[in-house]
Amino acid sequence: MSLTTALSIAQTALFNTSRQTSVVSNNIANASNEDYGRRSAVTSTAGNGAQIVTIQRAANDALFRQNIEALSSYQGQSALLDGLNQLDLSINGSDDSTSPATLLGQLQQAINLYSATPSNASLASSAIDSATQMAQSLNNGTEAIQDFRAQMDSQISSAVSKLNNLLQNFDQANKAVISGTRSGSDVSDALDQRDSILKQIAQYIPVSTMTRGDNDMVLTTADGTTLYETVPRTIAFDPKAVYTPSTTGNSITIDGVPLQPGSGGNTTASGSIAAMLQLRDDVAPTMQSQLDEIARGLISSFAETDQSGTGQPDAPGLFTWSGAPSMPAAGTVTTGLAGSIRVNPLMDPSQGGDATLLRDGGANGADYKANSSGGASYSDLLIKYTQNLEQPMNFDPSAGAGDKASVLDYSTNTISWLENMRQAASTAADNKNALATKTQTALSNATGVNMDEEMSQLLDLEHAYQASAQLMKTVNDMLNSLMEAVN
Amino acid sequence: MKTTFISSQAVSQALRYQMADMQQQLTQAQTEMVTGKVADTGLALGAQTGQAVSLSRDVDRLNGLVSSNALITTRLSATQNALGQFASVAQSFLSTLVTDSAGSVDDSVVQSAAQTALSSATAALNTNVNGEYIFSGINTDAQPINDFTAGSPSPKQALDDSFQSYFGFSPDDPAAANITADQMNDFMDNVLEPQFLGSGWQGIWSNASDQTITNRISLNETAQTSLGANNAGAQKFMMAASMVSDFFSGNLSDAAKNAIVGKASSLVGDTQTALTDQQSQIGLVQNHVSNANNQLNSQVSLFNTHLVSLEGVDQNEVATKITTLLNQIETSYTLTARMQQLSLVNYL
Repeated sequence: MSLTTALSIAQTALFNTSRQTSVVSNNIANASNEDYGRRSAVTSTAGNGAQIVTIQRAANDALFRQNIEALSSYQGQSALLDGLNQLDLSINGSDDSTSPATLLGQLQQAINLYSATPSNASLASSAIDSATQMAQSLNNGTEAIQDFRAQMDSQISSAVSKLNNLLQNFDQANKAVISGTRSGSDVSDALDQRDSILKQIAQYIPVSTMTRGDNDMVLTTADGTTLYETVPRTIAFDPKAVYTPSTTGNSITIDGVPLQPGSGGNTTASGSIAAMLQLRDDVAPTMQSQLDEIARGLISSFAETDQSGTGQPDAPGLFTWSGAPSMPAAGTVTTGLAGSIRVNPLMDPSQGGDATLLRDGGANGADYKANSSGGASYSDLLIKYTQNLEQPMNFDPSAGAGDKASVLDYSTNTISWLENMRQAASTAADNKNALATKTQTALSNATGVNMDEEMSQLLDLEHAYQASAQLMKTVNDMLNSLMEAVN
Repeated sequence: MKTTFISSQAVSQALRYQMADMQQQLTQAQTEMVTGKVADTGLALGAQTGQAVSLSRDVDRLNGLVSSNALITTRLSATQNALGQFASVAQSFLSTLVTDSAGSVDDSVVQSAAQTALSSATAALNTNVNGEYIFSGINTDAQPINDFTAGSPSPKQALDDSFQSYFGFSPDDPAAANITADQMNDFMDNVLEPQFLGSGWQGIWSNASDQTITNRISLNETAQTSLGANNAGAQKFMMAASMVSDFFSGNLSDAAKNAIVGKASSLVGDTQTALTDQQSQIGLVQNHVSNANNQLNSQVSLFNTHLVSLEGVDQNEVATKITTLLNQIETSYTLTARMQQLSLVNYL
């Protein structure tokens, strides 16, 4: 009787060992899978030897939450930084070489050189050339900013559709977990998959989790909007293909509640979507306003004044815009001005104009002509223009680059504004990346696989297997001896 | 009992992150080494970036002013030079006049001296630098002084006409021999002087503008950097030289001729005083421009110093950093290779 029991126990031991070996080999196979939770076969004593009760999956809820939170904020920060880098490069160029500030300096220099020899026609054309480059840089900047906004819009749109897909996948994984838990089967694989989907969702929006009975998970955003509860909620977004400076982008709604964009260089945005909203609706439009203000500063610095004494209003001179001959309203942003500013065709030789109008004035009629005697070396007006560029004027504080400065200073203020934000974003991205890496490592340490440990377990298992086999052989020998004695 | 657990993935990831980080630092350090500036000005300076851009723009502007001042300096020295020529013409003409008033010179000699003086003075005033007539005020594309016999009416014609209308005959007429010194003086004072010193000058003699050229010579300074031909010095000299050259060929009485010589001498004397004034005026502007240049150059070097302190890097420090990084990366490679070998699998 007891020998048969021993044989049966040895059998169970063999069975346990092979089950444990399969768990170990599964662990080894998934050693480099980030979303895999280490499995272990838990044994417990039973009437006839040890028995495997459950396959446990290593998990650490607190670390996992920290990790997806850190992941969300890193993704948000990194999306903002990428956007800022792109804007910096397309507006200011490498080392600010094509920034409005630099071109403005070149324009002032060209006009100054022209004022030293106002009779020189080639210096006049070179001043007009500089002005053309200046206007083009503002036009190109406007185009780049609006392209960027459209690009953000389409990225948001594709992120939203990915997110909707992920929520569908999450639904399936969650249902598998629930039904597996109810029926008592091993749900480790389904849990792995659910965690993996959760991590992907967290890259787009910040997500909080709550686990209910039967391992059912409820997802909300950080501010409490429900993302998933029994069924996935719809994330709605209506993209716009074309952006102009006056376009306002559509917002994203989750279950009917609009998603808030991030703010600041060390952004409050968590997840890439909020950061892209911030870029589209806050950063890019502010940069557009700054370009518009520079354009306004240029138009007013080069405005022609009435010389006839009849009190006619100032009118655009070298730089003109779609609203000419009136001047853009003082002290406030004229939306899209940087897109419509251009060099006055009357002064541009390449458009059949006369460059000396810049020296003499009079693009707006004889009443505005300052060089009444027509002398070829008249430089007063040119000198006045170069001085105007240095005179303080009022700027709209809503553009974020100060309210009173000369156009030259204002243009460098806009660089400071952007770089300040970029610096903050870059530092914050480094920190948030470090946190994300750190929590990832901590989570991996808590739930991941160590090959060496698995190998040593394998050794143990091998020994256990050998021992069990030896036991069976011994029982067999003993039974054989008994049989021989009986015979 | 298990102490702290580490997953195999965490081990290999840690190596990878560190390697990526060091390699990124290395490329930055290389850029800094080559340019002597921080690799990314924006990231390094943040809100101060605008200041750096403004400084480097100011350096360009100051250098621009230095080169435009070079043009101005050329014009000023040409002006100084022309004034010098004018002064020596005036001096030699005056000595001829003085000798003549002593009665020892033939009329034709005086006349030809006057003609020479007239054309030399006209040439000096019509000096052209870089396509600009420097004595034209702002009207630099027009010759400031018309040639004596050119144009319609030419200055000579205008002079002859006024003689004709005052006396009723030309200087070549025999009746000219009866002109008294008083008549001549009255003619010169009341007819000719307004023509030269008054409204007759512009148009007949001069095309210059009264407005002189203004230039910006430093960031916030402008200066009048040219002289016009419309001043008493040039006007009086032209009057003296043209009278002598035009009327000495005729039948004028000795008394009248003496009156002319007397008037001419006093006019040329005034001219010399005026020229000295102008030379010192231009000298002052030259000095002004050269001071402005010195100031500009010292500003440039000051701004450059600021710029370097803002965005420059210590190249020794960067070199050390590069060496350290290279060592670290090499160590890291060795370590990675070692750790990859370090597996229990190898010992089973």
